[in-house]
Amino acid sequence: MIGPSALGDGMFVVDPSRCIGCEACVQACGECGTHRGRSLIHLDQVDRSTTVQTVPMVCMHCEDPTCAQVCPADAIKQNEDGVVQSALKPRCVACSNCVLACPFGVPKYEADFDLMMKCDMCYDRTSQGVAPMCASVCPSQALWFGTPEEFADTRRGTLTNEFQFGNETVRTRVHTVVDEPGPLQVTAGPTESPWQDDPFGLATVEA
Amino acid sequence: MTAPATPAPRTVPTPGADAPAPLDRRGLVVGVSAVAVTIVAVFVGSEGLRWFDAALAGYLAGTLFAIFGVAYRYTVWLRRPPTARLNRRGWEAFLRPGRRGRNVAHLPGLLVRNVLLQTFILRRSISRWLAHQLIFWGCVLAVLVTFPLTFGWLHFQSVGQDAQQYQAFVAGIGTFEFASRSVLGWTIFHLLDIAAILVLAGVAIFLGRRLRDPGAIAIERSNDFLALAGLFAVSVTGLMLTVSSLWMEGSFYVFLTNLHALTVILGLLYIPFGKLFHIFQRPANIGIEYYKTEGARGGALDCRSCGKPFASALQIGDLEAILPRLGFDYSLADGDNYQRTCPRCRRRLLTQAQSARVRGFG
Repeated sequence: MIGPSALGDGMFVVDPSRCIGCEACVQACGECGTHRGRSLIHLDQVDRSTTVQTVPMVCMHCEDPTCAQVCPADAIKQNEDGVVQSALKPRCVACSNCVLACPFGVPKYEADFDLMMKCDMCYDRTSQGVAPMCASVCPSQALWFGTPEEFADTRRGTLTNEFQFGNETVRTRVHTVVDEPGPLQVTAGPTESPWQDDPFGLATVEA
Repeated sequence: MTAPATPAPRTVPTPGADAPAPLDRRGLVVGVSAVAVTIVAVFVGSEGLRWFDAALAGYLAGTLFAIFGVAYRYTVWLRRPPTARLNRRGWEAFLRPGRRGRNVAHLPGLLVRNVLLQTFILRRSISRWLAHQLIFWGCVLAVLVTFPLTFGWLHFQSVGQDAQQYQAFVAGIGTFEFASRSVLGWTIFHLLDIAAILVLAGVAIFLGRRLRDPGAIAIERSNDFLALAGLFAVSVTGLMLTVSSLWMEGSFYVFLTNLHALTVILGLLYIPFGKLFHIFQRPANIGIEYYKTEGARGGALDCRSCGKPFASALQIGDLEAILPRLGFDYSLADGDNYQRTCPRCRRRLLTQAQSARVRGFG
């Protein structure tokens, strides 16, 4: 579906489990050339009282973007590299359909600009083979950019770009890390994840 | 309108894979009707073509094509499921009994802020807003002068035997008089030059930004330059007519007339297809304002995960109805819909699912 690209074999990998919540990416994102001064990455906390896990979120760049499909103004375009771009400024009518429909919760409605803005994978950088701003500063490699070979050489885990939300399977350009191959079931598990009581998985280690 | 039970096939083609679409019948009807209404208006307004200027026939042809194209595209655009629903919701909100008075009273402010002054651009940057305002008012001025002239709705006649005194006639009705050698006369005869200078100033600011800003260069498309190039060509060739008559003793005037006509007609042909279509599309933002007000009045929906209110129940309901028609099925095993999860919880659920998969701190 996605042909030869300006991104070469560069691959953006998000591994939220490695996020330490340092907010370097939040600062770096604001330096992105395509939306200077506005940080568009999300960094939340799950629940400070029960876990130190933090939630980094960049645009996953869906192959069939829900945001673009629900846009009444046809303002969200996917370029030839499969990068889903921020809303076209002359077209966006600021209805927030995309903000509410995105399964990953990515687009931001910027009230003062009356405009939706979102991560465009630092296309000014990635199209030149350079890592996105956030990945270039992430100290724990929760946000990582490189080739599949580099990933295989330096990282553990398997890559997936399939996410299951109820009956909907979403394929994305950005990958995440899982244990075994197969889509990530986002909505299948309980809301409160049991690993919080056992973050290092010690209980599951065979005696 | 209820959603079909099974998701429809995805309608938006992937880049490079779009097949030619058949012509839309309703779009054709609306487009042809708009052209017919314009032709009748030209005929009536020019007193049976008495004041129609045959030299401007090419401009009229270009204008009719642009009117057809814009009406056609607008009609097709309004039929996309999300557009159709928001269009209907916007009008419902506006015409809601008991709210109409307030809605109408609210309208002039919205039109001035969002359509005429475009204050939302000002908050992005002053230079962008200035450039857009210059081009906007330059184009408005040019349209107000050229369309009535092309349609034969506006002409000038000398008053009696006084060659210096002119009177403007609109649709055959005499309006104000002015001395052709006065400041007012000079201004009226140079309105298009003024419009061209406004547009060129705006184009220069935009072009400077497009050529220098690396972020803009990375994401811009040929469309962005084409619109600027078109505005530039129309303005410069128009100004050249004045230059020729004032300082070149009319040299190349006929050639320049044809060149200007060519750029304008090409520009008119481009309007329905390119970036300039936003002129007709973006004002839909006014309807969205009423939709948002209506949504806020109707009450918020609580997130199915954290229980906190996050969006208007109206809009989430609309999305739940639209998504199956676009080929998406976000329904969950327990009968609920994933779309009732707030964006923050969506991000959190993904992280928790991923982190659990790699047993935390992978």
